[in-house]
Amino acid sequence: MDLFLLAWKNLWRSRRRTLITLAALSFSLMLVQGFHNLSFGVYSEMIDSGVRAGTGHLVVYQQDYVAGRDEKFSFDPQKLVSQISDLDGVEAVLPRLYLPGLAQSSRESRGILLTGVDPSAEHMINPFLKNLTAEQLPTLSGREAVLGSRLLKELQLKPGNKFVVTLQRRDGELVSEMFRVHSVVTTGIKNVDKSLLLVGRERAAAMAGMPGEVHELAVVLQDQRADRQVFPLLQALLHDRPQLRALSWDEAMPNLSNAIKLDYASQKFIFVIMLLIVTIGVINTLLMSVMERFREFGVMLAVGASTLRLRVLVFVEAFLLGVVAMLLGSIFGSLLTWYLSAVGIDLRDFIDSSLEFGGVVFDPIMRASWDLPYMLQIAGFMLLLSLAAAVYPAIKAGRILPAEALRHH
Amino acid sequence: MPLIELKSVSKIYPLGNQQVVAVEDLSLQIEAGEFTVLAGPSGSGKTTLLNMIGCLDRPSNGEVWLDAEEVGQADSKTLSQIRLNKIGFIFQSFNLVPVLTAAENAEFTMMLMGIGKKQRRQRIVDLFAQLGLQGLEDRKPNDLSGGQQQRVAIARAMAAEPAVVLADEPTASLDTQTSEELLALMKELNREQGTTFIFSSHDPLVISHAQRVVSLRDGRLESDR
Ligand SMILES: Nc1ncnc2c1ncn2[C@@H]1O[C@H](COP(=O)(O)OP(=O)(O)OP(=O)(O)O)[C@@H](O)[C@H]1O
Ligand SMILES: [Mg+2]
Repeated sequence: MDLFLLAWKNLWRSRRRTLITLAALSFSLMLVQGFHNLSFGVYSEMIDSGVRAGTGHLVVYQQDYVAGRDEKFSFDPQKLVSQISDLDGVEAVLPRLYLPGLAQSSRESRGILLTGVDPSAEHMINPFLKNLTAEQLPTLSGREAVLGSRLLKELQLKPGNKFVVTLQRRDGELVSEMFRVHSVVTTGIKNVDKSLLLVGRERAAAMAGMPGEVHELAVVLQDQRADRQVFPLLQALLHDRPQLRALSWDEAMPNLSNAIKLDYASQKFIFVIMLLIVTIGVINTLLMSVMERFREFGVMLAVGASTLRLRVLVFVEAFLLGVVAMLLGSIFGSLLTWYLSAVGIDLRDFIDSSLEFGGVVFDPIMRASWDLPYMLQIAGFMLLLSLAAAVYPAIKAGRILPAEALRHH
Repeated sequence: MPLIELKSVSKIYPLGNQQVVAVEDLSLQIEAGEFTVLAGPSGSGKTTLLNMIGCLDRPSNGEVWLDAEEVGQADSKTLSQIRLNKIGFIFQSFNLVPVLTAAENAEFTMMLMGIGKKQRRQRIVDLFAQLGLQGLEDRKPNDLSGGQQQRVAIARAMAAEPAVVLADEPTASLDTQTSEELLALMKELNREQGTTFIFSSHDPLVISHAQRVVSLRDGRLESDR
């Protein structure tokens, strides 16, 4: 206890130096916490809209559908839709059918991916459809189609116009059917706007000669973080259907997951560099304070302090510095996070085109969300760094020879 | 058996590719309760000798016996234990830890020994009264005069009741009157508590107070009276 008091007093004998070191430590902790939380918020948002438009947080496929997207791998969901819907934490189960084909108007033709969905189930979930009214949705078995705005333009169509979709049936025959432009969506993602063609699932299945079948059951959860709990339950449901596989969103949408990982890795790299630079500053501070006290340490050794005690003293000084920096930095980091979540950063001030990342459009206002476990972890890491910074100065202090130190004035 | 015994002690410092013989083949016995001054001109080896007696440094040759124990070749951990338990130190100046108050400085060795706060405080109250330091307990060293600082250093040296107090030119930075007062104090402590004192000094005033004067020249014993 006395050693803590002595260390605390020593910390403040060079007030300005200690304050500058504390400022560097807590400022960097603030930046790491604040900007991690910002990324965390943006990624969560991206994952959220990504999974809702894409495969869901968890997804069921037949065998290797995910690898080649071969439309052969369709399956009859039987009771799965209602069984999965009944699991705890599941918000919705979306059966979907994906059929590559050709769309033709009287003037143009384009390759498309005909997507068969349950319009009413998708409505509240799928961000592509959320701006449509109930009347603008297609029916399950009708000929109404929802088109991406670019596709509409390229085919030179207008709402209400008819067009023909041609695709290969399960038995190999080519089939063509007529659809009508019922509504148009603009997602902001070029590829989606160019190829989106949504129709009722039963119509699409009948056309492809595989009534009742689907390619994908997208499972949307109430809370993204619940995927670990729900995943085994989902696998248990698939137990007696070995040809079916459950995947999580990051396996099913490797593009999105990799884009996030890459982005976060580069950010982490900057965090690490910043913390290293700050640590070097702490080493410098501690080393200077040891060197300045060369004679004082000599006196302490002479009156009976052991070298171990001097080393511990240096570590305690670093520890206290780290604890104060941890507390201050976390307070600043929380304030920054609070600001970034309440106000956010409006990217429209910087860029005016729409924002697409890893195949997902995101809100132009980036907002942080709280990642408390990470904030604690990084604060603890800062304390460890302060202690690590004390290693060399403590070794130095432990090497002081009293007779030599006392000759210094 | 004497409290301190040096047997043909030498101390040789390497200096570049030369050697400096600071103390050469010196033998000396000091009994418990003595009040001894090591006298001699600058560079004669006083500090070197005190450092070896005080377990701050090891002799190059010879034996150092302290309290019936050969300490000349002990490891640094043992030496630091001996310094803590048996020896009190007073230096010429900058003796005190500047961030600690006078009382905390005086308590320092007792704290190292693990003596409880209450007991420490009681001891400091007594010592400060004896040394005329009452009312200065909470002052920082920088707010004390040179003489007061030296008295705090004496309090620290005496606090843990060591067998011997070593003082390397304790009055060299003080004026004559303050030096006189300080010497009178130490003499009193020596008389009343029987603590052994060994000084180094080239100040005739200090030398005149000594019961025994050991004179050094060029690292050798010149006279002992
Ligand atoms: N670390 C060292 N390296 C080399 N030479 C040293 C060292 N310490 C002391 N000496 C030399 O040893 C000799 C004795 O030094 P010492 O400090 O013991 O003398 P002193 O009597 O205390 O002198 P002063 O009255 O100036 O304090 C001197 O010649 C000094 O230069
Ligand atoms: Mg000297």
